[in-house]
Amino acid sequence: MNILEVKDIYKSFGKTDVLKGVSFTLEKGEVLAIIGSSGSGKTTLLRCLNFLERADKGSITVGDKVVFDASEPEPKASVTRIKQLSFGMVFQSFNLFPQYNVLENVTLAPLLHAKESADYKKRKKEIHAQIEETAKSLIARVGLSEKLKSYPCELSGGQQQRVAIARALAMNPEILCFDEPTSALDPELTGEVLKVIRGLKSSDSTMIVVTHEMEFAKSVADKVIFMADGIIEECGTPEEVFDHPQSPKTQAFLNKITEI
Amino acid sequence: MFIQVNLSLLEGFITTIQIFALTLLFALPLGLIISFGSMSKWHPLKWLVKTIIWIIRGTPLMLQLIVIYYGPGLVGVWAQDLIKAGVSNGILQWLATWHVFDRFFALMVAFVINYACYFSEIFRGGIESIPRGQYEAGQVLGMTKTQVFFRVILMQVIKRIVPPMSNEIITLVKDTSLARVVMVYEVLWNAQRFIKSDGLLWPLFYTAVFYLLFCGILTLLFGWIEKKMNYYKG
Repeated sequence: MNILEVKDIYKSFGKTDVLKGVSFTLEKGEVLAIIGSSGSGKTTLLRCLNFLERADKGSITVGDKVVFDASEPEPKASVTRIKQLSFGMVFQSFNLFPQYNVLENVTLAPLLHAKESADYKKRKKEIHAQIEETAKSLIARVGLSEKLKSYPCELSGGQQQRVAIARALAMNPEILCFDEPTSALDPELTGEVLKVIRGLKSSDSTMIVVTHEMEFAKSVADKVIFMADGIIEECGTPEEVFDHPQSPKTQAFLNKITEI
Repeated sequence: MFIQVNLSLLEGFITTIQIFALTLLFALPLGLIISFGSMSKWHPLKWLVKTIIWIIRGTPLMLQLIVIYYGPGLVGVWAQDLIKAGVSNGILQWLATWHVFDRFFALMVAFVINYACYFSEIFRGGIESIPRGQYEAGQVLGMTKTQVFFRVILMQVIKRIVPPMSNEIITLVKDTSLARVVMVYEVLWNAQRFIKSDGLLWPLFYTAVFYLLFCGILTLLFGWIEKKMNYYKG
């Protein structure tokens, strides 16, 4: 069953059309890699999924719920806020909260979210303990248990990105999005982040990864989308897209990359 | 004589500290609110606030003190004159009831508005220097705008604005001497009085000790705050 159905997304900034009708589906536990040159709309697509941009046209369905439909009037911020929790987002520039340590970075949003639950006051201690325990296990999962009390400025880029992954996982999103998660990292640090993402795949997380790491996309993705000029130029399994590309644009792109 | 001077200066100094503390108490939150206005996406509000900031920062605090203290009284007198001359309507009747504020109240109004405008620009600079990614990270984690501002942004803003704030707050210590314009007597005025009454010049210079001590303590305090917030970078 499809966990995600994206239908005909259009987005323009002023006169620039960035997305010109993007549709795709994703099944539970699948990993989708989105590749393409810069300016092809990959990041904008992720930002539309995460409600950081509002698409001009199109709809997004998660499971059996329509979380976004551009033909309907923009819902209240409080409604959007709940809906956007279907998605988690890991940014290129990590965006950790610098004034909080690793553990606090991961627990902040769940704690604030828990305050909205009806029985929060009664079970405050229990809820706090539970959130902290979950956070610790997530931090262990990204291999940073010994850094719980460290601040982001004391961590390497790779470690910061791993914390950012744990932070996104803490809100238990159905689909986790990565926006070029290793582009801001030194080459020797990309491995540790990719390893974590690979680990998530084995635990059946549904993920969308915008990436320039072709080898990684090839080995981890179940599905690859090549974007060019705001549309999906080619879509298929890694073998189809990487080894037998049909579109001339895909071929040109892949040739350019392998030339280096 | 020395004791008498000390007592008089101390009395004036208490007034100075009152002006200082009350101005901070009201101008800091008001400045934050004004900074939101000057960053508003609704342009009429933004430009209204920017104009007010321009006027307040563009005119001397001394002039603002005079206007706020004497202004309402002058309006009242003018309205009464017009009524006497036979012009009368509801608004004039109301304006005729205007009279001068209590002097300390007028003083505080002028100081709070003036300093709130300066603070608002410092807040604006601090808030606008926080990368967009911080807001977006909060948003994708399902935080409300208020939560993002108070739990994520504000702490980082405070860290960044401590140096310019300490500058402005130390200026405030010395600006309190303008209170004499509306006849609120602070430490400097009390010292100057001794020139006329007893021919003493040294109390005037002695006030410097009060100012220096006060600013010294503030400097240490801000240094401590800066150090406290140094546990993280960014």
